[in-house]
Amino acid sequence: MAKEMIAMLLAGGQGSRLYALTEKLAKPAVPFGGKYRIIDFPLSNCVNSGIDTVGILTQYQPLVLNEYIGNGQPWDLDRLYGGVHVLPPYQKASGSDWYKGTANAIYQNISFIERYDPKYVIILSGDQICKQDYSDFLKFHKEKDAEFSVAVMEVPWEEAPRFGLMVADENDKITEFQEKPKNPKSNLASMGIYIFNWDILKQYLEEDEADPNSANDFGNNIIPNLLRDRRRMYAYHFNGYWKDVGTIASLWEANMEVLDPEHSGINLFDEDWKIYSRNSGMTGHKINAGAVVENSMITDGCRIKGTVKHSILFAGVKVEDDAVIEDAVIMGGSVIKHGAVVKHCIVAENVTIGEHAVVGAMPSGEESGVATIGAGITIGAGAVIGPDAMINKNVEGGEDQ
Amino acid sequence: MMNSKTSALGIIFPNSYDALIPELVNVRLMASIPFASRYRLIDFILSSMANCGIDNISIMVNNNYHSLMDHLDSGREWDLVRKNGGLNIFPPYAEKESRRFTGRVAGLASILSFLQDQKEKYVVLSDTNIVVNFDFNAMIQAHIETGADVTVAYNTQEIPESLIKAPGTDLSLYYTFDIEDGRITRLYVNSKKEGIQNCSMNIYLLERELLIDLVNTAFVHGKEYFERDILLPHINKLNVQAYKYDKYIARICDVKSYYDENMKLLDDYNLDSLFSGNPIYTKIRDDNPTRYIQDSKVRNVMVADGCIIEGEVENSVIFRGVKIAKGAKVKNCILMQDTVVEPGAEIEYLITDKNVKISAGKDMRGTDTHPVYISKYQEV
Repeated sequence: MAKEMIAMLLAGGQGSRLYALTEKLAKPAVPFGGKYRIIDFPLSNCVNSGIDTVGILTQYQPLVLNEYIGNGQPWDLDRLYGGVHVLPPYQKASGSDWYKGTANAIYQNISFIERYDPKYVIILSGDQICKQDYSDFLKFHKEKDAEFSVAVMEVPWEEAPRFGLMVADENDKITEFQEKPKNPKSNLASMGIYIFNWDILKQYLEEDEADPNSANDFGNNIIPNLLRDRRRMYAYHFNGYWKDVGTIASLWEANMEVLDPEHSGINLFDEDWKIYSRNSGMTGHKINAGAVVENSMITDGCRIKGTVKHSILFAGVKVEDDAVIEDAVIMGGSVIKHGAVVKHCIVAENVTIGEHAVVGAMPSGEESGVATIGAGITIGAGAVIGPDAMINKNVEGGEDQ
Repeated sequence: MMNSKTSALGIIFPNSYDALIPELVNVRLMASIPFASRYRLIDFILSSMANCGIDNISIMVNNNYHSLMDHLDSGREWDLVRKNGGLNIFPPYAEKESRRFTGRVAGLASILSFLQDQKEKYVVLSDTNIVVNFDFNAMIQAHIETGADVTVAYNTQEIPESLIKAPGTDLSLYYTFDIEDGRITRLYVNSKKEGIQNCSMNIYLLERELLIDLVNTAFVHGKEYFERDILLPHINKLNVQAYKYDKYIARICDVKSYYDENMKLLDDYNLDSLFSGNPIYTKIRDDNPTRYIQDSKVRNVMVADGCIIEGEVENSVIFRGVKIAKGAKVKNCILMQDTVVEPGAEIEYLITDKNVKISAGKDMRGTDTHPVYISKYQEV
């Protein structure tokens, strides 16, 4: 029984620019938006778009991610035929290899894809926050009779040199690809989301693998080879919310944008496009009599006695009395003790911020950094953590960093 | 150490005490009454059983059970999707003369052949109007140690007024008892005694074979009630042991106690007492986190996910998906799932059922002794 389209989700990235947040965690497993992890977005998009078979390619620190995905039930991806499968590199009769690049990761799983005999394969990235209807993308791909399509976003021209750019004609046919060019000819940035006809993808993966000089990467190798052969390549315009949350600043910013769906365009309150996640199973959150909560998102298991302004609190966060939290992202199970001040920062899971400690600061003049505290860290009473700090070791009481 | 995985099976009576709380069970049954911002009453006893390795659980539904079927689904949220055992829902078996169960005996008699086929040594029986995070393994241990034939869980409290005043005292409604050295020596049905009593929690533990025997005999003699018609006449022949439960307990026996027991959970001590043990599972709705918008004012509230709060809320329990608009004031209320309070509305001492809408500018108040209940889908 053939599937029309299956998804391959690239989730092996280390996310090294997230430093302390990805020390023990693959980037797609990084918590986001109060009760989600980044990977909930592509997975929910798949199931909402009618894709019921997803291969997740993992390599870096996969434990949390594997446990989180489990049998795929929270995303309705526990299926008899298809469903979600975590695909780490594995040993074959011919030897074993880590995934050398994005294209090689798919190449090593050709036999997985062939089990489903799909007509199309969509390649997704596990490090973006985006609500996207892939069935609309597939419709475009079919209408254009394309062999390869890529989802693109218009970006401001001055930012274009930071992206991989698609140059396309008036029919959206791609004529050229520029990887982070100094002189951009286009402002259509690749979102790293591709639909391939499976026969074409397989042919180019095999050719790429045979080339010892290739970096085995979609952007650097596969797409240029398709262009070289004048394949039917099209650019699909996406104009919804899309954010690559590859840096501390962009991750913090995307979280803050969740607080303002009216302007930012990322609306998690969408009954027609739910984002699914594994549930914490905690009780409703509790806000005590002396607490102040303004303009924030709060989820199950939180206990608030202090002040929370313009912040996102994940499941089970405790804010003791006289603590102040502002413009902050506080991940699951963290405790902010009495009198602590936590501002403009990201606090990872299960952190303890000691009494009267100060973490981060609101931007002033030159300093606008987002302080970051890694998972499981304890910040001692009275310690002061500066606005640009990246903390991955416990900090003693009274210490300055 | 006994193998708790195979030692007991559970039987739950979700319709018990429906008659005490007619408003809330108009479209549902006791077991599916929403409680504590995101749960249904059955979640507590069901999770307690599942957490103790009781994974063969039968629900003896009687009437109004669609909401419960929807809530339980396959039992997955309680990890009760099992090849052996798992969750079984037994509706009344329609015979030539279809009649609904009255006491427990008819219900149990209808599943005797099922009970005979099971492998567990013990059976635990429970209603759903008691909110507890119960350790069944401790009770089973006590049962074994005391050599009991039947063990009954109880707590000490005054008999709730609503039970004493309940209509139809010809029914066998509630039970208190005298205890000597842990053994129940006298069992009282519908006692009107004042002061602290040993009040049955209607959680029973006995061997499966004994239950089958007792029910079989009682049923052929046309008996209806497990307590009045089986335990009471056998109180001297059987070793019926009392198992004292002194942890957190909420007993729902009318609208007032329903209101009070929800409100009690606004006290952190009570909330922690009920929830600090094993987790209580419930149906997942995949709501987003709750959003507090500029100008919202909240104090002393318990709120589930999926809400949008723009107005003022005080001393209230707010269920999933509730919207409280700008300028609205909510005080001392229980707002069930997807209640909408429109701009400028002011409400106090209200219990709104699911999907109730309070129109803009409305002013509605109950009192602390008589909270006003508004039924499902009403617009006021």
